[in-house]
Amino acid sequence: MDEILGEFIAETLETLETLSSEVVAWEADPADQSRLDAFFRFFHTVKGSCGFLNLPRFERLAHAAEDVLAAVRRGERSADPATVSAVLAVMDRIGALARALGGDETPPEDDDALLDALAESGGGADRAEPFPQPPMSAPTSGIEATAMQADTAGPAPDTIGERAPRTIRLPLTLIDKLMSGISDMVLARNDLARRMREHVIEPDLESSFERLSVNVAELRDLISKTRMQRVDRLYAALPRLIRDLTRDLNKKAALSLDGGEVEMDREMIEMVLDPLTHIVRNALDHGIESPAERRAAGKPETGALHVIARQSGNQIVIEVRDDGRGIDCAALVEKAIASGLLTATDAAQMGDTEKLNLIFRAGLSTATTVTSISGRGVGMDVVRANIEQIGGVIAIASKPGRGTTITMRVPLTLTIIPGLIVRCGQHVFAMPRNNVLELLHQTSAMVAMEEVGGARIAVIRGKRHAFMDLEEVLNLSRPKTAAGPRTLMVIRSPAGRPYVLGVQAVESNEELVIRPASPAVTAAGVFAGMTLPDNGRPMLLLDAAGLAHVAQLPLRDAGDRLHSIAPEAEEAAAPTMQALMVRERDGAHRLIPLAVVDRVDDIAAGQIAPCGTAAFMRIEERLVPVLNAEQPLEGRLKSLRLHAGGEQLCYLIADVIDIIDVPVEIDAALAGGRLAGLAMVGENQFEMLDPFALFAEAHAQDAIARAEEPIRCLIPDEDDAWMRNILAPLLVQAGHEVRFGQTAEPDAAHVILRSEAQDADPDADGPETDAIPIVTLRADAAPATAAPGTIYRYDRAQIFAAIAQAMRRVA
Amino acid sequence: MTEALFLFASIAGVPIAMRASEVEAVVRLGEIVPVPLVQAHVRGLAALRSRVLTVIDMEARIFGKGGLDETASLAIVADIAAHSYGFLVDSVSDICLAPDGAQPVHGRMDPAWAPYVSGIVDYAGQSHLLVSLADFALPPGGDVLAA
Repeated sequence: MDEILGEFIAETLETLETLSSEVVAWEADPADQSRLDAFFRFFHTVKGSCGFLNLPRFERLAHAAEDVLAAVRRGERSADPATVSAVLAVMDRIGALARALGGDETPPEDDDALLDALAESGGGADRAEPFPQPPMSAPTSGIEATAMQADTAGPAPDTIGERAPRTIRLPLTLIDKLMSGISDMVLARNDLARRMREHVIEPDLESSFERLSVNVAELRDLISKTRMQRVDRLYAALPRLIRDLTRDLNKKAALSLDGGEVEMDREMIEMVLDPLTHIVRNALDHGIESPAERRAAGKPETGALHVIARQSGNQIVIEVRDDGRGIDCAALVEKAIASGLLTATDAAQMGDTEKLNLIFRAGLSTATTVTSISGRGVGMDVVRANIEQIGGVIAIASKPGRGTTITMRVPLTLTIIPGLIVRCGQHVFAMPRNNVLELLHQTSAMVAMEEVGGARIAVIRGKRHAFMDLEEVLNLSRPKTAAGPRTLMVIRSPAGRPYVLGVQAVESNEELVIRPASPAVTAAGVFAGMTLPDNGRPMLLLDAAGLAHVAQLPLRDAGDRLHSIAPEAEEAAAPTMQALMVRERDGAHRLIPLAVVDRVDDIAAGQIAPCGTAAFMRIEERLVPVLNAEQPLEGRLKSLRLHAGGEQLCYLIADVIDIIDVPVEIDAALAGGRLAGLAMVGENQFEMLDPFALFAEAHAQDAIARAEEPIRCLIPDEDDAWMRNILAPLLVQAGHEVRFGQTAEPDAAHVILRSEAQDADPDADGPETDAIPIVTLRADAAPATAAPGTIYRYDRAQIFAAIAQAMRRVA
Repeated sequence: MTEALFLFASIAGVPIAMRASEVEAVVRLGEIVPVPLVQAHVRGLAALRSRVLTVIDMEARIFGKGGLDETASLAIVADIAAHSYGFLVDSVSDICLAPDGAQPVHGRMDPAWAPYVSGIVDYAGQSHLLVSLADFALPPGGDVLAA
């Protein structure tokens, strides 16, 4: 310990010495970002080390200074002279303390004055202009770690004094080693955590471990970032490719690249490079016409080719769009029939999207002649296979004469993915969450199981899906003792239409560090990788496509029809939206667009506070208007929480029935009222609620309620510091009106809040309270010793419930 | 000189040797999690600290069946083609120098052993079959090709 302490002192003093020359410069030019960074790093390091060494005074000082500097960096605070001096004073104090630790000096006493100076200085100053961002470095094939970004790294005295962010170039193998090192570290930490749980651990050890855990997690995030590269790198080769190809093909094309600043995993970029090149090549060769043809078609001679990358959740979407001739579906189908891939009858039943998707099948090309560039019939099937191999999805849309758009969606990174943990008897597996469309209980009313001629079929909301049990595919015995309903997972199979996988249970949802499985294991064909979760038992990651393949589910080459399940393709088909079918409190079945439904809550009638003609429910300290509260409220209720940007409302219903697809355009539009119109669903028609009208109504109600009936809370004892400083702000924040002091008017308040002590004190001359409900708060948490009818004053939910209830009594 | 350093072990009562440069460690494995749908010689997965080992039963691999019983846990750990493996063996006797190095095999081998043995190493007056762990880590089907 002494050794570490000595190191800490030496390091701190050394850094201070290096920084001392910067202090003056900073004072002269407080906006200098690189100096700011150097100071920030210093405090951060001190904070980190002394937390570890248990030096609370250092920690407190460093933490406060760090906060201030962070605020300056965010531009929320200006580095005015007062701030600068306060920060410098803290630095001096840290130096003095460090020397004191080393035994050279007596430590100065009180730190509070310094901290106060830090907190106050610059407090009243105007918001500073944000600092200009350092120029982005040009993309290169290596990975550039900028000193600016590495602000949580240890002290880096060598960067001090540099104005521009310094970058270094690192070999990629080093980054890879770092990444696998940190993955190991995460797993080692998990292993340690598991072992620690098996023993009784001293709190000291536990808190050290906590700190280690946090550090490891931060480090992992940082190192994952070093693996990220800008999509620019993917784009680098394209301009040259276009130039060469247009020359070879005697075509003209202009390439535009968008979203080059989007970042994705380096490994992923490598995996996408070939497919992207192929698609671009195809677009030029088959898509974009010759200048003469384009002129004849009334288009500019120069074809336009757009490549767009964007991040969507944890996926990267890469879109290649041309304005060429589009794909000739008829020719495609003809070819497919000629090559025996499908029959004319099949073709007649296919939709346009399905026909287009034929292009992804092996041995099919629309090119009439084989060129050196493409058209050999090996192409899009390989592209698709490559994209699917990395867990991506590819979709195509095309308009004859107008152009073709190919969209690839690939995961952000290969190494850490969200997964569902599924159980089959003794075995536990992980399934990538991206592959799971839906989870259902086998007993759900929406599910029916059929067995026809040996084929097992799960019918979910009228749609038939191939069904299999995971145990069956994996040759595992089904545990006879397993109780309870099994869980059905609707799996997006990249090979074709979704299928349903039955498992004993879905246990949890975890972020998994995936590592490749050895060839001996992947040979089984159903595993995509492996992972070591916290419990220390290695676990295999299931491969959705592989399972379907091994089980020989007829997903792609189904006898009659081909189905495409790519989400983009679905959107391109008949425009439908998902709607929630509910039973209203009056018994009618109605629909509401699912998009506006945030969640379905089970609530108690007591949570709703009627307020004049309106009603409100308290959700997270806010009052949310409630619709449909006219009928008497009793027992448990169901409520739809509707969400529109910042606004929310609760719509009380009797029950949720189903989620169904309905046409976006409703069949009979109605004007006025809460209903938007009628939607045809199969044989029946249902009324569709109009979210616009609901929100308008809620808004009006909200306004009325606020104008006429704010909940007025009276706090009689204005000298009670807790009431005044803790409770009152909470009430105000929740939309209540708070008054202090005594009052004789009977309707001055809706509810009176007071403390238990005051309640017990007979001398306290509270207001005449016959008409006004009182909520009495006690300081003691234990209900056993509490006076009846009191509420523990830190039980926020209870307090609000009591206020709402009091309101109801008044109303 | 490292070329002459060998690890001596035994599988199915047969003394074997492997180059020490191939071997990372010899450990007793904890729980082995079985893997469905793989060939019998792939015992499953085991965690070694933060690593996941693919556990190969060498005896089952050689003879295509049988192999060690459930309780076997002594394994030679090696990294092969970026994957970590644990190879189950009956026993490990020693790591030491064999100054003569590997000698050619004299006499006709059991056909089961033949694909794996590349020579003979003399240690403590006994002949040990020289094997390479990499041959055991090949994906199933590799031995079909060899046959």
